[in-house]
Amino acid sequence: MITTRKKVISFAVTAIGLVALFLIAVNTGSLKVTLPELLRGLFVEYNPDVATIYDLRFPRIFIAMLGGAAMAVSGVLLQAVMKNPLADPGIIGISSGASLAAVLITAFFPTLYFFTPLFAFLGGMLAFFLVYSLSYKGGLSPLRIILVGVAVNAMFTGLMSAFNSGTGSNFSGVASIVNANITMKTWGDFETLFIYSAIGLILSFFVTNQCNLLQLEDKTARSLGVNVTRSRILISVVAVLLAGISTAIIGPISFLGLIVPHIARLLVGSNHKLLVPYSILLGAFTFLLADTVGRTIAYPYEINATVIMSVIGGPFFILLLRRSRNSYGK
Amino acid sequence: MANDVFKINGLSFAYGKHQVLKGLNLTIHEGVITTLIGANGCGKSTLFNLMTKNLRPDQGDIFLYGQNVSDCRIRDFAKQVAIVHQYNTAPADLTVEKLVSYGRTPYHTMGLSPDPEEDEKKVQWALNITNTVEIKDKPVTELSGGQKQRVWIAMALAQDTKVLFLDEPTTYLDVRYQLDILRLIKKLNREFGITVIMVLHDINQSLYYSDEIVAMKDGTMIAHGLPEEIITTELVKQVYDVDLQIQQVDGKPFVIPI
Repeated sequence: MITTRKKVISFAVTAIGLVALFLIAVNTGSLKVTLPELLRGLFVEYNPDVATIYDLRFPRIFIAMLGGAAMAVSGVLLQAVMKNPLADPGIIGISSGASLAAVLITAFFPTLYFFTPLFAFLGGMLAFFLVYSLSYKGGLSPLRIILVGVAVNAMFTGLMSAFNSGTGSNFSGVASIVNANITMKTWGDFETLFIYSAIGLILSFFVTNQCNLLQLEDKTARSLGVNVTRSRILISVVAVLLAGISTAIIGPISFLGLIVPHIARLLVGSNHKLLVPYSILLGAFTFLLADTVGRTIAYPYEINATVIMSVIGGPFFILLLRRSRNSYGK
Repeated sequence: MANDVFKINGLSFAYGKHQVLKGLNLTIHEGVITTLIGANGCGKSTLFNLMTKNLRPDQGDIFLYGQNVSDCRIRDFAKQVAIVHQYNTAPADLTVEKLVSYGRTPYHTMGLSPDPEEDEKKVQWALNITNTVEIKDKPVTELSGGQKQRVWIAMALAQDTKVLFLDEPTTYLDVRYQLDILRLIKKLNREFGITVIMVLHDINQSLYYSDEIVAMKDGTMIAHGLPEEIITTELVKQVYDVDLQIQQVDGKPFVIPI
């Protein structure tokens, strides 16, 4: 049992950590400013260094935080729907379905740029539908979901790489999605991400209760008057929306939606009313950390945050796979 | 016994080509404990699932207080009928009280309660009656089998329904906890007038704790009535396909299962 005190501490520490990390990230790179300088430059008078940081680093940092939060919550919701602690939008192909759609839109219909997240959402839904229907065999076995998901993921990733190589990597917008590179992101990208993910995150708060009830056996949830199928569809749509949005702007991120909810469950428990908000904080923190580490570890070169996530996430996933025996939240 | 809770007419159901129920007619009376008995595969679980809206009939109708259950929204159904299923799981850190409070779900809209005081009252009542007050802050997963079963019953009671279904509530329990649960069920019926419909495996527990027995074979009902009136060597032979002696204990029939 996790006491209320411990849960409060987890929230507080993560929130403080996020703010601290934000300040570090702002100051990571060739330009450096002190906190008073930063605040003065932002709110009082013009400072060329602060302005550069504001234009180049801020969007990237906010995008990393928001994208991380969206992917983490997406993972929480998918795990609730599939009763599977190993479900991750990256691993089971939702992100790659979404990014394939985003790539095609960016390449062929660049004028529809603002609606890329919507198409990414549709691509993600397609992948989700494929995984769900192909792994359904009188029930959903956690392992079968992962296996089918890996295959679907490989297919979409392959199509995307094929498209990128086949066009001589000439579409820079395409390449940045394929490689999940957030270096050159602008405030415009942030706005797009913000609008869609705000909707997704707000919706996720409305389904927390249903996520909790779905943790019971389906028959039991139904005996409590819950329309189980409708709840599943609703929660899945929100999950895919969140994964689709962040994929459209950032590119496919693997393992974030797996690691963050898992740690979150250990720290604040399995009640989704706490799990969702806490995963927002921890997801933002984790992805910003990955990005900041990627920027500093091989300076002056950069390693993509998604690459960092994969390097850490892979072993973590294997560990979870070995420990879990079809158990959910145990 | 004035009112009928369930009225079932010409109920048929098949899994693919396998016909499980064949034109079953049955009336469940209000305020009594009715137990469905029968050999494995006789269709009692299917009937249970049809009556609890987990399956839809191929043919025939099930009426609950005069309303066809197929037309009843699942949420409205949950305000009238509570079900304790045989197999249940809960997240590792879910406490007893929290789980029991899930029983109020049918009364909530968008996860919000219109009357939190009423919820609290019903949850406390359910905890009290099932004797789970002392363990209310413990995680459900850490309880013994008998305690767990009482907690699941408490959740069903928090639904505040007039009808309670139980699917083999004593399976997996030691005999002491079996009796514990059956006595609780009897108390719920006698003190609060809850109509109980259950499936039991043990024929003698069925006879002892039920007011009415529904005996099934091959997808139809072959007997329905008071235990002492319907249980005979012939019926037992018909239902279970074994010859067993019957004796009287406390004026109730007792089958010697050897």
